[in-house]
Amino acid sequence: MEKEVDGILVAAHELKAPLAVMRQLALSLPEMDFGGEHIRSEMVSVSERAIKQVNDLTKIRRLDDGLFKMEPVAVREVCDAVSRELEYLFKYNRRDLNVRYSNRARLVTANRDLLYSVIYNFLLNAMHYSGDETRAELVVKDFRDAVKIIVRDFGPTLPIDVWREMKRGWVEKPTSIAMRPGSSGLGLFIASRFSRYMNAEVGAVRHRDGTSLYVTLPISKQASLFSV
Amino acid sequence: MIFVIDDDEIMAEAIALNCKKKAQIFSNAIMAMTAINEGLVPDLIFLDILLDGPDGFTFLNELVSYSDTAKIPVVIISSLDFSGRDLSEYGVVGILEKEKMLPSEIYEYAERYSK
Repeated sequence: MEKEVDGILVAAHELKAPLAVMRQLALSLPEMDFGGEHIRSEMVSVSERAIKQVNDLTKIRRLDDGLFKMEPVAVREVCDAVSRELEYLFKYNRRDLNVRYSNRARLVTANRDLLYSVIYNFLLNAMHYSGDETRAELVVKDFRDAVKIIVRDFGPTLPIDVWREMKRGWVEKPTSIAMRPGSSGLGLFIASRFSRYMNAEVGAVRHRDGTSLYVTLPISKQASLFSV
Repeated sequence: MIFVIDDDEIMAEAIALNCKKKAQIFSNAIMAMTAINEGLVPDLIFLDILLDGPDGFTFLNELVSYSDTAKIPVVIISSLDFSGRDLSEYGVVGILEKEKMLPSEIYEYAERYSK
């Protein structure tokens, strides 16, 4: 119970940040002689991200009900959709997002919405921790019976305790990450929950110059005849 | 010249806008300290505490440790609760809570401390 309350407090702190930004932008609108459209775009973008995080948190509660159907999902289509959605944000923050497919266009067994959220949270994490004028990479690789989606950033490496939790595929609760401030690890917490639901393997690799987060999903045997 | 140090670039831009004076934005403390070392000494600094890399307090310690920067007024902008804490020995002249601060408060600090 205590852990859960801790987690809620840290998650609440993270969700407070976009609300504070929204408020400040709204208050700043009268100061704009021109470019008000830019601020309105920011407000939409920030609020959409916050809504998505809240939605993901509510989905975690619903995982136990088993309402998320597992089905054949086209990994490339999901990766394309997520990277398209976040393209503006990366550009605005002066980061590049490189997407690279070294796999055939295979289908995996997953829930599309949950997989979308896992990749979205990994990419948001990468965007936040990559430095200005640097890049993040989204790479999809084939394995014999699985497809691995890797998101690499070039920021500070992941703290060892969070890496350990990611290694065992289960982030216990959102935790303040001293080396990676501005993040409670809420995205990783969400991603680990969704991955476990999909029987996917989630993990992290620490680099000297950043972090790779990955999720490995089993290919869909049911639909393998239709894969390209 | 005013420095705004915040890793949330959108928030930093909003603060800089409300200063209505020349302001330079830095997303981390190292970049700001490098600028100071290169001779760009600000009249006032708006400083977030939770930053990528060295945090705001590390930056404050750096500032007060040098004679030429020890007296630079700093306004902390943070979501953390600093109520009841006296940070004047770090040159902190004000603390603004990100969730409650008003553009007029930012402007007033800018007017009072920046040429």
